[in-house]
Amino acid sequence: MKNGFLPRTARLETVDERIRDNHLFTFRVDKELGVAPGQFVELSVPGIGAFPVSSCAYLTGTALICCIRRAGRVTDALYRLAPGARIGVRGPFGAGFPLEAFYGRDALLVAGGLGMAPLRALLQALLSQRERFGEIILLYGSRDPESLLFREELETLGRSGAVQVRFSVDFATEFPWTTKSFFCRVGLVTSLLEKLALTPGRTTAAVCGPPALYGCVLEELARLGIPAEAIFATLERRMRCGVGECCHCVTSGVFVCCEGPVFSLARLRQLPEAI
Amino acid sequence: MFCRTCPDDFGDRLLQALAVDHQVLGAQQGSDGVCRIAPLHRWGDLSRESLPLLPAKKLVLPPQETLWTLAGDDYLPPETPRPVALLGVFSCDLFALDYLDRAFADDSLYRSRRAPFFLVGTPCVPGEACFCPSSSAPPSFDLFVDNGRVWAGSTRGKELLQVFAGLLGTAEDAELPKPAHGERRFPPGEDLARLHRESAADPLWSETARRCLSCGACSAVCPTCACFDVVDTVAGEEVRRRRQWDNCFFYSHALVAGGHNFRPTRKERLRFRFEHKLLGFGALRGVVSCVGCGRCRRNCPVDIDISEVLQSLVEREGS
Repeated sequence: MKNGFLPRTARLETVDERIRDNHLFTFRVDKELGVAPGQFVELSVPGIGAFPVSSCAYLTGTALICCIRRAGRVTDALYRLAPGARIGVRGPFGAGFPLEAFYGRDALLVAGGLGMAPLRALLQALLSQRERFGEIILLYGSRDPESLLFREELETLGRSGAVQVRFSVDFATEFPWTTKSFFCRVGLVTSLLEKLALTPGRTTAAVCGPPALYGCVLEELARLGIPAEAIFATLERRMRCGVGECCHCVTSGVFVCCEGPVFSLARLRQLPEAI
Repeated sequence: MFCRTCPDDFGDRLLQALAVDHQVLGAQQGSDGVCRIAPLHRWGDLSRESLPLLPAKKLVLPPQETLWTLAGDDYLPPETPRPVALLGVFSCDLFALDYLDRAFADDSLYRSRRAPFFLVGTPCVPGEACFCPSSSAPPSFDLFVDNGRVWAGSTRGKELLQVFAGLLGTAEDAELPKPAHGERRFPPGEDLARLHRESAADPLWSETARRCLSCGACSAVCPTCACFDVVDTVAGEEVRRRRQWDNCFFYSHALVAGGHNFRPTRKERLRFRFEHKLLGFGALRGVVSCVGCGRCRRNCPVDIDISEVLQSLVEREGS
């Protein structure tokens, strides 16, 4: 039996600092981790601590690419590391988005804030086999235009026609923009669901965002007619071990780190404390 | 189950035999009035009446346990701990170890302590606020010693008895001594699940939580409460990660970076702990982890009693 708490060494390679306090980190490991979209790893800054984070990219070989918010003690320490620094990584852990649930169907991705990070990995997975899916729609809400993650990349994707991209922002210091292929409005991401041309019975949805987003979006998608088995959300919880022991992430009796963090709405309805 | 008669001084002989390759421990009443697990030198020093304040979980899941130390680029696992023999364990604590064995079945560090652990059970004198869980099978042990008789519950136990073959009587079929206390049955799993689910808005939780001080004493002394936090320490050049006992009554237990707390109120944290005791988590959902030792009740500064709370839930449902 192996000691599941021993990390592997990863080296910090590059940091994309374009979005303030939401830097994009690329780490290099000696052997591919194989993090599926929605799964998470535990990153360690030795001497400080560890935190769970999902990958924001798909099939990255020996690279591990994570969009990490500066939100606490450990991420703060990570932000002070220089390229070349060694950190620890354990995982991947948990169950990610089931790609097979999207095969032959339209995909609707709904992201709020930093929730765009794991959904970008899913989006890349879908695009890597684009012909297996119908429409791909991304609805992405953020606080303001400056905090939209991967904005240029997503705009380009929207223009290419491979993905329908719709942005929303809570506040706009620059004027909301609209062009031929994409659209931004001021309001909640749920407002983007209005006037959306969906074929609900043929759609599989993936949602990722702050807890408040789940309270309104998931059942709204079900009301639109998307089957509860085809609506997926990933739950954020305090995860210290990743292996179903430490009990911090337990929600309605379920270890979110093992059975989740991705759950279908059908399953979440059985977990009254999840949303 | 087979048992054999043994001489009066068997306990001390057993202690000596185990001391060759084990650290021998047992619950003993301290001069400060606290019963605790400590190095045992005489069988007669074992506590016959009181359970140790902290149960055997502190040996298999130490309050602080190193997960690794970092040396250069290498994460080094901790050294293999010395085998422990724990003598004079009461049935409830044996049942609790059975539960932890299931919860930590895949944990190599837990296994490294538990696998060589030699357990000698003894009958108890029921204490205040305790009861015995009803179970169809006796708990796991290596040997069980009672009043001139010894039972072997494992291959290791049988092998050790062979050392004493000349001292022991012939094998006879005999049940393990029943606890002097009545067994108390929990409602069936589906009833517990329903009681828990449907009581979410019951004022009983907020009333109990209003008394609760969130001190966490109940979880600390509980033989099946085993949640842990993971923390790093730096001493000079040495970086060490360890896990240490955590407590679901603490505000930070379900707090995530950014400030969202998934169990922000004391009521939610109280109900969460009771959910673990009565219903279990994950693969152990449906397995009651309360073994009736009564430690939580005896150590609660405001006398919250899990079995009373459960009884109230049952009665309220009926009314």
